[in-house]
Amino acid sequence: MATKRLAFIVRALPYKTEASRLALTHAIASQSVEIYLKDGDLVEASVSFIGDGVLNCHKNQQGMKHYGLTTIEGHYKNSLLLDLKVLICKEDLDRLGLTENDLLMNAEDIGGETNAQIVPYSEIYKEMESVDHLLFC
Amino acid sequence: MADLKSQTPTQVLDVLGRVCPYPLVLTKKALEKLPSGGILKILCDAPASAEDSLPRFAQDKGMTFEVVKLDQSWEIYIQKG
Repeated sequence: MATKRLAFIVRALPYKTEASRLALTHAIASQSVEIYLKDGDLVEASVSFIGDGVLNCHKNQQGMKHYGLTTIEGHYKNSLLLDLKVLICKEDLDRLGLTENDLLMNAEDIGGETNAQIVPYSEIYKEMESVDHLLFC
Repeated sequence: MADLKSQTPTQVLDVLGRVCPYPLVLTKKALEKLPSGGILKILCDAPASAEDSLPRFAQDKGMTFEVVKLDQSWEIYIQKG
């Protein structure tokens, strides 16, 4: 029995490319692969937002209005609903003048019990160092 | 096979309208909180989840389960071991 740990590091803006949406989709999908693994093997995933990627966490996004795209908030909230570890880089929030009040920190409206965490970059770096597979998006 | 559908479920999980992988991961999460012996009734309309991933998961975990096909959806009953 083994646990493989994955970390998705999102640096991309929410609507410029599909990168952040794909990172969230793959992190969520990784939680279902255990049915194809050996007995007891598990996969744990975390998603960290750094650089311009922290803008993915902004609340009240209006992707459909401005870009004709479904909002990324749904994917983001689903990751919290499924108890994925979601980290947001504090230094990058400060650089962009964002505070916790600007961000979607939980998914309580859909039954989520896990909150996103604003952490210093050093914490995200530790996460990167500790996982088996690191995926930059 | 135990007749799970005739028993009162401990919890009902409605994942209608959700597609893979959500039915499975939400089922896993619900089962974690269910007491041993409890029955989870899942309402699902995603064929891949209802006919493949959910039964496979229950089987792998050694849990008793029952899949009932309705007109446009499925009811899946899983009893936590």
